[in-house]
Amino acid sequence: MICLGVESTAHTFGASMVDDDGRVITNVNSTYRPPAGVGIHPRKASEHHAAVSDSIIGKAIRSSEGGQLDPDAIAYSAGPGLGPCLRIGATVSRALASYLGKPLVPVHHGVAHLDIAMSLGHVRDPLAILVSGGHTAILVHVDRRWRVYGETQDITIGNVLDMFAREARLPAPGGASVEKAAKEGHELLNLPYTVKGNDVAYSGLLTAATNLMKQGANLEDVCYSLQEIAFSMLSEAVERSLVQTRRNEVLLAGGVAANSRLKEMIGSIAEDHDASFYPVPIEYSGDCGAQIACSGSLAFRHGVMVAEQDSHVTPRWRMDEVDVPWIPRT
Amino acid sequence: MDTSNLANEPFHRGAEAELLLSKIDTWRVVIKRRASKKYRRESLDQKIRRERTYAEASLLHEAKVAGVSVPSIMGIEQQTDSIVMTHVEGNVVRDCLDTMNRRNAMRLFESLGSEVGLLHAAGIVHGDLTTSNVVVTPSGQPFIVDFGLSRRSVEAEDRGVDLHLLQRSIAASHLRDTSPLIKAMTRGYGRTAGEKVLRSSLAKAREIARRGRYFAIR
Repeated sequence: MICLGVESTAHTFGASMVDDDGRVITNVNSTYRPPAGVGIHPRKASEHHAAVSDSIIGKAIRSSEGGQLDPDAIAYSAGPGLGPCLRIGATVSRALASYLGKPLVPVHHGVAHLDIAMSLGHVRDPLAILVSGGHTAILVHVDRRWRVYGETQDITIGNVLDMFAREARLPAPGGASVEKAAKEGHELLNLPYTVKGNDVAYSGLLTAATNLMKQGANLEDVCYSLQEIAFSMLSEAVERSLVQTRRNEVLLAGGVAANSRLKEMIGSIAEDHDASFYPVPIEYSGDCGAQIACSGSLAFRHGVMVAEQDSHVTPRWRMDEVDVPWIPRT
Repeated sequence: MDTSNLANEPFHRGAEAELLLSKIDTWRVVIKRRASKKYRRESLDQKIRRERTYAEASLLHEAKVAGVSVPSIMGIEQQTDSIVMTHVEGNVVRDCLDTMNRRNAMRLFESLGSEVGLLHAAGIVHGDLTTSNVVVTPSGQPFIVDFGLSRRSVEAEDRGVDLHLLQRSIAASHLRDTSPLIKAMTRGYGRTAGEKVLRSSLAKAREIARRGRYFAIR
């Protein structure tokens, strides 16, 4: 069984073929980059997606021998995400499914981040940490669903890094720019540290860091401090959740999982509590077609499908609203 | 205070601190020692541990003065970021709730509501108010423990987090219908916090439940 996955939630349009062992056969992605100082404009991103969709999918279904791979199912990112972007992926997938006469599988983008990380790491039943522009959540799987054990009460950690980078006029992707600058920083500046139970709140931190930068503090030091505080907050919530849930695997997934300092911190907590640590490989941390194909393949084998006329998109869709019966993994 | 001469045995290891059981003269005491965290930079780690140790001790004291049933502070040891406090004899509510009879459970939660109301009326929020952090004595009196995440706050938002967390942790018990317990808790809360605070805190608790979700695992 081979599944074609189409990702189209935000800045990235991607397509990928994954087999039923979770092996990634092809994974082709194109990312819309707004100019420095500007965020993603949903319409402009969707225009980018519409323009590249044909060639991206064309490349994804081409086998290494030059022939064409025939998908058994077509999965698309049905949400959460930017409406105009989601609709491009859904429209293209719908058309393909109808043309090829193959079933259509709706995928939750956040669940997919965890699915690909679990497949690649052979993880069974972890405490999962999803860190990206759309999510900052600590999750455990109980009774068919991912349950939110802790999360951000306001903006996501990816948001913090992106918006700070934008204010500082650092180039996109913001997270990578902040990480690079942070490596040159040394002084830990005074910034608000807000943990509420298992939750974190980041908006005050973003405002304070932005103000420091505008008042002329050394940019590298602000980036360093921003990372240290933001990640320490999350790490504290993770440690509390790990103690409470007693899981022996810790999974780190999503775009911000590419950050080496965050990996170091979460890895240290896992080690302290005798849990194995599985950060998603960097090439699959950001949004990509492979996550949708991987999740779609699992969902399809568990009977998840949608009729063409019901294949809507859901721009706001919480992780704990999706049935995920394929976890714990065998 | 110097705890280095006190014999002690491990009592509980939380995510943030370890608790040691010890004795000073005839008093059974708990030593709460905040462990350093490798993942944090040393300066940040030290700052957080020191600040929290002082904050926790002074808030515990303020709560006591306001009449809330909490452990009594016996001292602080600066070098080890430790608080020494009286040990509360009894059972953690999370562990004994399922086996408690209805009447006792109702009475317990009404008193607990009153305790939380007193705390909030004194301008303090607990920050981690779950049934794991309430100890019920053999006479049935609830004691609120672990002020590690507590703060001074008169914001309805922060009081709402307390009520929300407590409601969630009650709902996560194995009891069939927990809504009478939550009602009893609310009744007790209103009695000490007053009608106005009750209304604003409950409204916020509902808002928080809609905004995000806490999921309690036993």
